[in-house]
Amino acid sequence: MVYYLIICKSLTYAQRTASVLSKVGITAHIMRTPRTIASEGCSHGVKIAQRRLPDALVALNRAELSPQRVFIMEADGSYQEVRL
Amino acid sequence: MIYFDAAATTLQKPTEVALACARAIRTCASPGRGGHKPAMAAAQTAYDCRALAGELLGVAEPERVVFTMNATHALNTAIRSLVKPGDTVLISGWEHNAVTRPLKALNANIKVAAGPLFDQEAVLASFERELTGDVSCVISTQCSNVFGMVQPIDKLAALCREREVPLIVDASQGAGCLSIDADGWGAAFVAMPGHKGLYGPQGTGLLLCGKDVAAAPLIQGGTGSDSVNQEMPDFLPDRLEAGTHNIAGVAGLLEGLRFVFAKGPQNILEHERRLLARARDALGQLPGVELFCDPLGKRQGGVLSIRLARMDCESAAQWLGERGAAVRAGVHCSPLAHRTQGTLETGTVRLSFSAFNTPKEVDRFAELLETMIRKGV
Repeated sequence: MVYYLIICKSLTYAQRTASVLSKVGITAHIMRTPRTIASEGCSHGVKIAQRRLPDALVALNRAELSPQRVFIMEADGSYQEVRL
Repeated sequence: MIYFDAAATTLQKPTEVALACARAIRTCASPGRGGHKPAMAAAQTAYDCRALAGELLGVAEPERVVFTMNATHALNTAIRSLVKPGDTVLISGWEHNAVTRPLKALNANIKVAAGPLFDQEAVLASFERELTGDVSCVISTQCSNVFGMVQPIDKLAALCREREVPLIVDASQGAGCLSIDADGWGAAFVAMPGHKGLYGPQGTGLLLCGKDVAAAPLIQGGTGSDSVNQEMPDFLPDRLEAGTHNIAGVAGLLEGLRFVFAKGPQNILEHERRLLARARDALGQLPGVELFCDPLGKRQGGVLSIRLARMDCESAAQWLGERGAAVRAGVHCSPLAHRTQGTLETGTVRLSFSAFNTPKEVDRFAELLETMIRKGV
């Protein structure tokens, strides 16, 4: 299944990101960032369904939470960075 | 037991606090150190605690609520972040050693603002006078741990904002009963224990950090974030939280916060003030008892110091303790407060109340004190 992964600079930011998204009805799951894309070392990301990214970005912008980076996980399991 | 030492640590806690601690030990691992269920349970507990503390204490973003071991740890972090060796720092005349010792260690030039006890206007005027251009930081307790005097923090914060000097508030006695609006004050830092008026377990504390304040970590180490970088992360709370969290303590603190939130800090304050007024009326009748009370009642938290004319304060506390009344005597780690009030030589006996104390306990304590005085112990 294809989904977006919003990379956050810390677990707490990931939690706040997930909280903001949940409040606007976007299902969000916190997960560890896969090592292959976590260039800074350990970090956390928030996983959302592919179709919810635009709404998510609007909500996060309103909450003054800017994602560090956003990746899309392709059907083959690879990650591609999304230019915002 | 009559426990009147809440200013040191609240002994009676909501039942849920201990249950949550025990549950966390069984079910929570370490936040940010794994994606498995126990780690995520710990992460959720920590986040819920930060979020509720932020809501209660006026911090908009949960990441600016930092966990510490206690208020002393929080104050040391705040002071080390803002004060450089040799800086001039303006403090109130009622500060605890948790403020004055770190300043001494930094060889800071300490200026003191004070006035008559419970005279907030005079204290504020003193701050206005002493807040000169050389002052790099202002530190004030919200409520004296010795005399319960409530400081005019709203106005002091406004003064600091106007003069663009960072403010550190020691809310050790205020948290849980006095109103705290960290963002509204524009304070650089607000420090508090978790184990007093917030009813959490010992080993917990909070440091509320102002927006865009450069916080300096006291210790360095793993944070579960930005791991490749050999500097501490530049974002909160990770920057100030190296090492494994006291997650059992945090779980207990969360329940303590829920208790305070449900009861309402103002209601807790009014309860403690009613107990204080009852103690004032009862103890004021006894011969040789000097009370340090606010005549208006509105400028004192739930802390009451007394001095006995013909009895050493430590001996009195010992006698009371042996008969089931727990109070604190001496200088209460606040020699500056005693010096300001002229009680350094004698010390005082301090009664400090919590939400769990009752009027009946005050009456029993008064009877006990009367017996002690009558016997001339």
